[in-house]
Amino acid sequence: MESTRNERLQSPEAIRLGFKKLGYITDRRIATTVYLAHHLEKPILVEGPAGVGKTELAKTAAVYLDLPLIRMQCYEGLDESKALYEWKYGKQLLYTQLLRDKLDDIVQRGNGLGEGLKKLHQYDDIFFSWQFLEQRPLLKALQQKDGAVLLIDEIDKSDDEFEAFLLEILSDFQVSIPEIGTVQAITKPFVFLTSNNTRELSEALKRRCLHLYIPFPDPQQEREIIRTRIPGISETLVRQLIAFIQAVRKLDVKKVPSISESIDWAKALLVLNATDLSIDLVRDTMNIIMKFEEDIKSIEDKIPEMTAAALRLAGVS
Amino acid sequence: MEALLHQFMHILRRSGVRISIAEGLDAFETARHVGFADREMFRDSLAAVLAKTLSEKEIFMDCFDRFFDFPLPLMPQTKPAASPDSSDGTNPDLSAMLMSGDQAGLAAAMSMAATAENLSGLRFFTQKNMYALRILDRLGMRAVDTQIQGLIAAGTPGSQEQGAALQEARDRLATNVRNYVARQYNLVGRAVRNEFNEEYLLYAKLNYLEQKHYQKMHAIIMRMVKQLNDQSSRRRKAARRGMLDFKKTLRQNVSHQGLLFDTCWKRKKIDRPEVVVICDVSRSVQRVVRFLLLFLYSLNKTVMDIRSFVFCSDLTEVTDIFRQYPVEEAVERLSSATDIPILMGRTDYNCAFRNFQDQYPDAVGRRTTVLILGDARNNYNEADTGIIKTMSRRCKRLIWINPETTAYWGTGDSEMKKYAPYCHMVRECNTLEHLERLVGSLLRAH
Repeated sequence: MESTRNERLQSPEAIRLGFKKLGYITDRRIATTVYLAHHLEKPILVEGPAGVGKTELAKTAAVYLDLPLIRMQCYEGLDESKALYEWKYGKQLLYTQLLRDKLDDIVQRGNGLGEGLKKLHQYDDIFFSWQFLEQRPLLKALQQKDGAVLLIDEIDKSDDEFEAFLLEILSDFQVSIPEIGTVQAITKPFVFLTSNNTRELSEALKRRCLHLYIPFPDPQQEREIIRTRIPGISETLVRQLIAFIQAVRKLDVKKVPSISESIDWAKALLVLNATDLSIDLVRDTMNIIMKFEEDIKSIEDKIPEMTAAALRLAGVS
Repeated sequence: MEALLHQFMHILRRSGVRISIAEGLDAFETARHVGFADREMFRDSLAAVLAKTLSEKEIFMDCFDRFFDFPLPLMPQTKPAASPDSSDGTNPDLSAMLMSGDQAGLAAAMSMAATAENLSGLRFFTQKNMYALRILDRLGMRAVDTQIQGLIAAGTPGSQEQGAALQEARDRLATNVRNYVARQYNLVGRAVRNEFNEEYLLYAKLNYLEQKHYQKMHAIIMRMVKQLNDQSSRRRKAARRGMLDFKKTLRQNVSHQGLLFDTCWKRKKIDRPEVVVICDVSRSVQRVVRFLLLFLYSLNKTVMDIRSFVFCSDLTEVTDIFRQYPVEEAVERLSSATDIPILMGRTDYNCAFRNFQDQYPDAVGRRTTVLILGDARNNYNEADTGIIKTMSRRCKRLIWINPETTAYWGTGDSEMKKYAPYCHMVRECNTLEHLERLVGSLLRAH
């Protein structure tokens, strides 16, 4: 298991090809970063616009390495009890009720309060042990025997405090639980953090991570992505579609269409049995790639000329 | 190679990429892992370890291409083997390499000599020649020169030809070294100049700054604002936590037979500072005011509520202008008084304050901080302190910010000394650093 994993991570090129087999097209930069993350045992902080496949990268890595993916979605107000661990209060209460007679026994058999208390002390850690611990994603990731891929999604949505709390896990792969002690990772997990840059992350967090910025792909790469994702689509249509999308990205719109939107669009066109882009077709399916009313309106007049340009460009290249 | 990497990181730091010591160590480990054979991979790996934002990535790529613009030595392991003769950097085979036209060998020798010379000390263009000569010395140029002279002096046709060829190759190498040093100067020098500039801007008097610094200034201001914002948000969260309100808990729990069952917590009310800014836009303070406004309005949305008024001969509210236009355009409009219904005549503080009191009586309440920006030069009109006195009583704090240095207060037509007793705080404010301190104290007061 371990050896196959090492083999799979032996060079960036191997990673790139492996990811490609799984339908995730990367360039060497991404593969190099994954390779480094494995060898330096560091988390990867992935940034980039929405929909360029940040989360997908982690998922693909999990499949490629044959490891369980443990995902934690961040949001405002996320705290330790939801991310790391919580005591099963209900179970604790129930057990104390059930064991009441036994406890009475223990306490009463001795003579005097002091003796009873002393005896109780011998058992007091029972209720704060692993059996009563509800494991949340972070702790679960540390507890996996073969390691895991831990995806901490949209870290920028969480509070500063939570970010600071993560530092211990990210640098030493350990957490401190007051009642139990420090928990070390059995096997160090492969950690991905993603961020949409809604706020600047702290220096301390960045320092501990490798940084990867995934931009929108170039036309050739995007064509390849669509061809892998939607095998049935015709070559000319892909070219036209990508030329159009790339042109839209250059416009000043509220939400730029991302890769996931181009894939959706390609799927839609396939369902509609289209072989070529046409002005009407584009107009009818515009709502798949543009997600704001104003954007659609602003682009509406330009559709004929942009379609023509896309057709021309696809014909040439 | 390690020295080279050190230098590279030094340059990155100078160019504005933040690299901590831990990241530096990571970089060395990375370099050990990936080696130098594959230039692209080496670059990408270093980029992942060292540059942590998109803008830093851009700087990194730029610096990388400029810095490593010679072929990288193939493997770092080869260096120790070659060290005996390259430890002092001189190269006995220089003339042989020159004659045979071994470009790769020359480039490698050059980069090694340059590393030994440590070009990061290169700051001023006057140093360029000195460094070039030193590198040439290290390469063993003197020996080559004597050899050339010897060859030419020998007088035989063969040796003369050889001497001429060697001379030519030598000149080419010298040019190469000069070019290399010039490129390094552009790289290192630019970084240093950048640093120099920021420091300069922070302490420079605002009225000496020019338009071209505006962009930079804006960047610095945004950074300050973010820091201040972070500070204030942290404080707010701390205030929200609250302690047990014992009295209230007792009262609340009377119905539970006095068992303290339902706890109540003390809550602090967090109020955003309300700020009213009254700003002089007359010509005497114009240049400073631009920056003051810029700074205050960067704070506007996140840190505090600001209502703003400008005056010259008379006064009007301009809060809307800031809401309508992006900050920079708004500042431009205010300082040139386009589309603002005020008279740009002689500055009249009395009239301005009177207008303020009559037209906007509701602007000042018991929670408001009033901020007056101006030099208090009233064109020899008698200063009417009555209004300011009432204003000072009604508001929470009255702060007067004067762009003139303290020594000038009260001289000529300046009425600063008369106004000062009624203000809670009077500050001289003419550098960004002053501004930062001022806003810090504004926030602390709440």
